Amino acid sequence: PSGGSKENSLPVDFGLINGDNVEQLKKINQACFPVTYNANFYDEIAKKPDENLCKFAYWNGFAVGAICTRLEPIPDNPGRNRLYIMTLGVLAAYRNHGIGSKLVSSTLDYIIESETEGKASTVDEVMLHVQSSNTDAINFYVEKFGFEKGELVENYYKRIDPPHCYVLRKKLR
Amino acid sequence: MSNDNPQSGAGRPLPKKEADLFKNVIKFYESKQYKKGLKNADTILKRFPNHGETLCMKGLILNSMASSEYGNRGLDCKEEEKEKVEEAKELVKKGLMFDMRSHVCWHVYGLLYRSHRNYPEAIKAYKQAIRIDPNNLQILRDMSVLQIQMRDLSGFRETRLKILTLRPNNKVHWLSYALAVHVCGDPEGALGVLDNYMNTLGESSEEFKRGFESSELALYKNKVLSETTSSQDGGNYFDELLGVKKALKHLDEIADVIVDQTGWLQAKLSYQLQLGMFDDAIETCHLLFWRGSTEDHRVHSAYMCALLHLDRKTWLEVEKLRGTTTLATFRPLLDEEREVLLKAYGITPSTTNGSSSQHCSADGAMTKECLALAFPKSAAIKRIYLTLLPPSSAEFRLAIDKYCQRQIVKGVPSLGSDLSSLYLMEGKNQESEGRLILARDPVDVKFHPVYCMLVELVESYISSLTTQSTFPNDSIQRPPSVLLWAWYLRSILHEQSAEYAKGITLINKCIDHTPTGVDFYELKARLLEAGGDIQRAADVIDSGRDLDHQDRYINNQTTKTLLRAGREDEARKRISMFTRHEGNPEQNLYDMQCAWYELELADSLARKGKLGMSLRKYTAVIKHYEDFHEDQFDFHAYCVRKVTLRSYCDLLKFEDEIWGQPFYCRAAERIIQIYLGLFDAPTKSQSNEEPDYSKMTPAERKKAKNIARKKKKALEKKSEDSASGVIKDTSKSVEDNGSKKKKPHAVDIDPEGKELLALNPLEEAQKFASILIKHAPKRITSWALHYDVSVRRGKMLMGLQALHRMIAIDSNHHDLFARIVDFSQKLDSRTTTCHAASEGVILSEFPKLLDGKVLSDFIKSTLDSVQADPLSSLPMRIVLAKALISSNIATQSECVSLILDSKLSGRFVTMTTCRDALEFMESMGKDAIFGKRELMTLIISKFPFAKDF
Repeated sequence: PSGGSKENSLPVDFGLINGDNVEQLKKINQACFPVTYNANFYDEIAKKPDENLCKFAYWNGFAVGAICTRLEPIPDNPGRNRLYIMTLGVLAAYRNHGIGSKLVSSTLDYIIESETEGKASTVDEVMLHVQSSNTDAINFYVEKFGFEKGELVENYYKRIDPPHCYVLRKKLR
Repeated sequence: MSNDNPQSGAGRPLPKKEADLFKNVIKFYESKQYKKGLKNADTILKRFPNHGETLCMKGLILNSMASSEYGNRGLDCKEEEKEKVEEAKELVKKGLMFDMRSHVCWHVYGLLYRSHRNYPEAIKAYKQAIRIDPNNLQILRDMSVLQIQMRDLSGFRETRLKILTLRPNNKVHWLSYALAVHVCGDPEGALGVLDNYMNTLGESSEEFKRGFESSELALYKNKVLSETTSSQDGGNYFDELLGVKKALKHLDEIADVIVDQTGWLQAKLSYQLQLGMFDDAIETCHLLFWRGSTEDHRVHSAYMCALLHLDRKTWLEVEKLRGTTTLATFRPLLDEEREVLLKAYGITPSTTNGSSSQHCSADGAMTKECLALAFPKSAAIKRIYLTLLPPSSAEFRLAIDKYCQRQIVKGVPSLGSDLSSLYLMEGKNQESEGRLILARDPVDVKFHPVYCMLVELVESYISSLTTQSTFPNDSIQRPPSVLLWAWYLRSILHEQSAEYAKGITLINKCIDHTPTGVDFYELKARLLEAGGDIQRAADVIDSGRDLDHQDRYINNQTTKTLLRAGREDEARKRISMFTRHEGNPEQNLYDMQCAWYELELADSLARKGKLGMSLRKYTAVIKHYEDFHEDQFDFHAYCVRKVTLRSYCDLLKFEDEIWGQPFYCRAAERIIQIYLGLFDAPTKSQSNEEPDYSKMTPAERKKAKNIARKKKKALEKKSEDSASGVIKDTSKSVEDNGSKKKKPHAVDIDPEGKELLALNPLEEAQKFASILIKHAPKRITSWALHYDVSVRRGKMLMGLQALHRMIAIDSNHHDLFARIVDFSQKLDSRTTTCHAASEGVILSEFPKLLDGKVLSDFIKSTLDSVQADPLSSLPMRIVLAKALISSNIATQSECVSLILDSKLSGRFVTMTTCRDALEFMESMGKDAIFGKRELMTLIISKFPFAKDF
């Protein structure tokens, strides 16, 4: 997705993902990704709902996209964390309307805002894995949000082809 | 209870100490401290074991203790409680025997009856109490409430008069008496009472100042005034409208005290219309619109009546319309009427249409002429405008186009059903003659001009949105949801004309497009259900429900679909997500008076042949209506005290008609049908154990058999217990039962269902049938069932009367035809005759029902008319075929072709009626095998998802 142009950008609302509506996340992910996430993935999200990290984008009353992230410690750097983007998906019919960008930037804004609010942020970077063939997604993160394309991880995926992925990173400090 | 002196009246006096104790008993009873009350009563009884009043009070307290528990449980009255209640009754009776001259005893006796809802007996007991203590205000008050509850209107008036005479300085007593006179049908008298009351007041009284109570009282008085008719000079001169004229004048007099301005204007409007003061009425309508009544369809109806100068009779009819019905959707409009209304409602000054722009000029004074301009935000005005345009006109197309586009952009799921209320056509039967009715049958919908236009419009939307994301001839780029809703609407249109497979194709597109939309799964399930696969429908809607656990609507729809699929356990699990989480959900649903659930559950149980359990659920719904009626009690005193007398009158009227409400009728009709079935085939009552598997789908059958097996085991276990000689403590076994109840999946052998089955079926059926014909006389089913009951009771004349009533509703109804044939055959084959007088009536009247023909000719002529109309309904074809067979008029193959000739393209072709047709084919045996096969092919082509034949 190259992102929506200004005039057909849709004004979406965001909403919490919880145990009551997590099935909708499943539907979105099933429609968007070649990978099937296991029940554990959804259980974790349903168990600890956090609208700042995992959210739906609503248009016209329906959930049409979702982002799921988590905060995880950076190995070898005690006390420092990174934001890891697990999934970002927008239903095909609603792409090119800037919904994905809004989901990413609202999540990034949260990280940056909580810093400006005086709390010392522990989050140093944002990171994700992208299937090596998915140039659209790579361009999306690199061009729109200034992510850097990092190392290629071979055989990251088990059931899809190609099985390799790139690591995308954005340093916050 | 105001029994300050228990020794008053003829009650036997007690010594000082015990007298004080007795006072305490009453105090504790009133403050519901039953245990303390009981203790005090026992102390008195130790010294005076035969003291009647104390015995009565003890009984009353015991009764309250038992029934407060009983009340909480509702359905499950336990043996233990019943015993307690019996003990209480015995005590009260014993007390009364010891002291027949005590008003306290009689009062308690009345209260006891009242608590068991035996009001006639309670009133009798109160009357005895009053005979002994004529001025006991408390008893009089209690009795008056019972009397109005029982609609003993003259008794009520008498009692209220007595109370007023005793305490004339109390406003409530004056109002109550006025009301009593009024409900007795004497508005003039009521007016006199109200005037007398006003005369007792000083000039500075609150009643003459602006305030809620004075306003309500004035408007009530005005209402009473409008109902008066007689002339003042008492001569022969009779003016029906005199009261209305006076009331209209009176409105101006009371204007200063009124706070309910809208109510005041509405009264004025009604009077003006009744009196034919149309210009004034139009003025009043505008005042109402400006006050914010633009969404009130009743005001719109009034506005139309005023614009069209319609007479009083029409207005009084139109005034009763409810919901979004207006004059325009109530009866067909003449062309010139249409024109007048269109001018008043016209939407925008279209540049091409000179005449409407003339009326919608920007001039402020002129906007009055055009509602749409004056109230651009009103949805009702825009919607009503659609109903005014002739469906064939270009303006209609334009307007509906605009309306649809706006709603599709908004994403309004209900648009499809909203639009379906435009499928108006002229009524065809006696009941709806000269009226507009909605085309509901797919056959009628499919060829309705509005439907055809909608199909065309939506098709054009879809093709334009698919290729360029715009509406046709439009340049605005629409978001993706617009195409989605256009598909959705198209799918609903397919549903309305029974094109289920096409509907599914489109709704699947919607689900692929936005798999998170709950509405799409709901529609898909509806299409599957109508198209013949209820099991898959239930699965689909359940998967939609899983998307949002907080959506109560979809949860309810899922529950309903599961019940229709015969999956009661799953249904209970689903709906339990929204009941209270402790206790038995079924009980909780009963407490919440969730009638739709109970009706669907009862239907499902009846389909499985579990008649007892089914009856129990239907009876629960009946009980809700008794409770609704019972709820009135709270209002009798309250409304008068708060002076909301106008609404109170409405309430009384509503409660009088409560037994005609659709849900009540549905429950009562099914109960009658079950009982009639039991009467015809008494062995069926055993089918509690052995349901009728033949009518079930394999899945249902498997389930039913499973349940039956479980039940059998439970039964065996029970009999083993008793056989082994273990005598259980009864109270303990009751507890066991109770704890079982709490587990939602316990298969309990329901005692109450069995009790219902043990009743005399014909008596029960008759009981409900007579309620239905009284309160739902416009439902043809009420009379059909009344007929069924009457002929089984050997009451041929009553049966004949029912047939006549059915003719007056719909002379072409298949239920009527079947019964006329039945009646004729019964008449020929009966062994006994009725009373001579009845016999005379029957012999002279019945031939008229056959149009003076012999039965076989009557059937043949019906056959001719049915065959002449390819749209003749399937149920009609079935009953006709049955009549042809039973009277040996036609061969089996002729009957087969009567059903097959229509190719199932007539009216009332649903899965249910198709199953009936199949059943009929099967009943004819081998000769109809070919026909049966052909019918099945036809069914599959109509209902592509149908299974299990």
